[in-house]
Amino acid sequence: MSRIRGATLVAAVAMASLAQPGGAQSWRTVTTSRQAAGEDELRVQVTYGAGEFKVRTAEAGLLYRMQLRYDEDVFEPRSEYERGRLHLGVESLGRSIKLGKRSGGEMDLQLGPGVPMDLDMEFGAVRADLDLGGLSLTNLELSTGASESVVDVSRPNPVAMNRASFEVGAADFTARRLGNLNARRITVDAGIGEVTLWFNGSWQQDARVNVKMGLGALELRFPEGLGVKLTKDSFLTSLDSEGLVKRGDAYYSLDWEQAERKVTIDLDAAFGSVKVIWVR
Amino acid sequence: MLPSRNALLGLVLLSLAFPVAGGAQERAVVSKEIAVGKAEAALRLEFADGARLALALSDGSVMVDGESVGSYAVGDPLEAAWRALLGEAVLLDDGPLASMLRDWTPPASLEGEALATARRLDQALEAALSVPATPTPPTPSLSVSVGEGSDGAIVRLLLGQTSRLATLGEALEGLGSDINLHLDEDVVVAEGETITGNLLVVQGDVRVAGIVSGDVVVVDGTLKLLEGGLIQGDVRLVDATFDDEGGVLQGELRDVERQERNVERELRDQLREELRSEIRREIRSSARDGNAGFFNPFSRVFRGIGGIIENLVAILILGMVGMGVVAFAPLNLDVVAETARRSPGRSAMVGLAGTFLLVPVWVLGAVALAVSIVGIPVMIAWLPLFPLAAVAAAGLGYLAMARNVGEWLADTDYRYTDWIRKSNPVTTIFGGLAGLMIFFVAANVLGILPFFGFFKGLLTFVGVMASLVALQVGFGAVLLTRAGRRPEYYPKDFDEAWAEAVDAEMEMDAGPAAKAGTGPAGGTENGGNV
Repeated sequence: MSRIRGATLVAAVAMASLAQPGGAQSWRTVTTSRQAAGEDELRVQVTYGAGEFKVRTAEAGLLYRMQLRYDEDVFEPRSEYERGRLHLGVESLGRSIKLGKRSGGEMDLQLGPGVPMDLDMEFGAVRADLDLGGLSLTNLELSTGASESVVDVSRPNPVAMNRASFEVGAADFTARRLGNLNARRITVDAGIGEVTLWFNGSWQQDARVNVKMGLGALELRFPEGLGVKLTKDSFLTSLDSEGLVKRGDAYYSLDWEQAERKVTIDLDAAFGSVKVIWVR
Repeated sequence: MLPSRNALLGLVLLSLAFPVAGGAQERAVVSKEIAVGKAEAALRLEFADGARLALALSDGSVMVDGESVGSYAVGDPLEAAWRALLGEAVLLDDGPLASMLRDWTPPASLEGEALATARRLDQALEAALSVPATPTPPTPSLSVSVGEGSDGAIVRLLLGQTSRLATLGEALEGLGSDINLHLDEDVVVAEGETITGNLLVVQGDVRVAGIVSGDVVVVDGTLKLLEGGLIQGDVRLVDATFDDEGGVLQGELRDVERQERNVERELRDQLREELRSEIRREIRSSARDGNAGFFNPFSRVFRGIGGIIENLVAILILGMVGMGVVAFAPLNLDVVAETARRSPGRSAMVGLAGTFLLVPVWVLGAVALAVSIVGIPVMIAWLPLFPLAAVAAAGLGYLAMARNVGEWLADTDYRYTDWIRKSNPVTTIFGGLAGLMIFFVAANVLGILPFFGFFKGLLTFVGVMASLVALQVGFGAVLLTRAGRRPEYYPKDFDEAWAEAVDAEMEMDAGPAAKAGTGPAGGTENGGNV
């Protein structure tokens, strides 16, 4: 009880302090939430321009909760819900935007567990920290601009996902525990940047992964025991294929035939390096 | 005489058509929004029955559902009390939120006009959060019929098709109160027969040869409007089909599910058409350029050969500059090249940012120097030297990238790259420059031939992009390493690097036989691919 009071006090002080004028930017804080009302599917679209962005799983009973801190001279919040469609985030008012990690804007989004969800997120210059563990995702689309994004699927997705798609512009992008996505197909389309993909997690079905890299360094981290087949179509790209055996046009993990779960990776890269790392 | 199951189903379906007017003891809050800014502190609630409440202190006015009920001053006790209330409400949802807001009372410290305004807010909250007294709606007329042997129909509808309830709700929206409901059975409105009111058929086919005075709603079935049949209202379909076989539909035909899909399809089609037009324009433009050259073959040949010579001269000049860099600053070139190789993404982003900042830094630097008398002479040097330094940095970066490309070409098995030796940086730089320029050379060669205008443009574009990328990555690496003087991104010990280089040379000299001992499992294929 004392913790709740403490948190309440902190929130109250924070809310009051945020309202004080300070600096050239005019900060506004918006908290919105909605109770789950037996939705059997939800299409979520998140748009966020600049700042820090976090996604977590909400407590049971909530459909979503969003806490937003933004410069009201530059952005306006968006929170719309209608018949299973949820649109959240901020939209630019068309004035100049201070880009970068220190722009000060924040968005903390919690999404309700147990509601099958088609999640579509689009970021600009954002530092994103997404934990999608525990969400029931049927589709996932993530599109980032110049960002630094970490996606972690800390717990298995209880429903089978049709497709997970990551479009990365000029960014550092790390995805962890991709196996927990429970996805049949994963696509990663990266422009410029450093991309690290961890293929650990609980694989519940075989998967096909398409990776397109423009310019940059790609690191593929596989857990031991996962069957991996890698085919590549690359240009001016070095490949460090540790632990893979080349047979024909493809590289195979040593235990490809015996592996319980198999992941086939089609790699299309230009200008950069690809490194394969096996982890225990 | 309705079976209890049918009554239950009827209530469910009717609840979709007619919003429930009554409520529980406590009005449920389904959605909240709390917005706090410099000039506003607002609370917006949405209730389970769709009603909303908006309370805000905004720009000196206290607003309840958009109407002013008082005023406040920034920082006064009323605003402080209201912001404190919102601070508590941020953490709560649903029942606890409703209870907290309803139990809120204006603080004892308020007095006068502020207290009166706070009481209005309190009253608005209590009125909204308490159950409103609502008149009992008129009892709708409902006749329900269930097909024989379809005991599971109700359960299937309620459990198996919950995803459709929202669509069903839309289909039944505005439907009159007189409903003839048929579940899991086919319905025939025979010739001469008249059904008064609306006809709702779930999981069944309908044949109308007579008259239906209201709307016809078909869920998961087929509606046939036969010759002589008349539907005086609308037809609404949910996952159903409609066959007009000569009857008369006086109202509208609505496919509730398809409407949403159609909008998406129209958008997709529009986008596709725009894309097609764009491609057509591009192709026409390319074709025009190609035709112009077709009628003047000699100028095409001269232009092509001139372009190739330009490329070769550029390679020669840049290569000679590269030789100078190798002679006078070999370590700087190594550090920049290794940084570009190991952190291309970071380097590209830094390069891009640096490019955008060049002009502002140049101008601001000049302005900053111009404000003081001492700074004016420095500014005179700054104005020409800064652009020169930028060009030198870009050149160093480009040469470093050329060295990397040259090393990659040396690793390949192409016949024409045998002359490139990794141990000789001059050959790697010349080789890399040739590699980076190859698109332009190829474009000029194609430009000599007729009909290849499009491919020439394509290759030129690729060449420009490759050069831009090389420039950005190289320039970023130069900035990151301070022109190769800060080797944080090149942490390799010199002795270790030397040993690696010697090993690589020995392996190359030993030829394929030496490589045969390397097992594929632990094998490393550095740079060996296209």
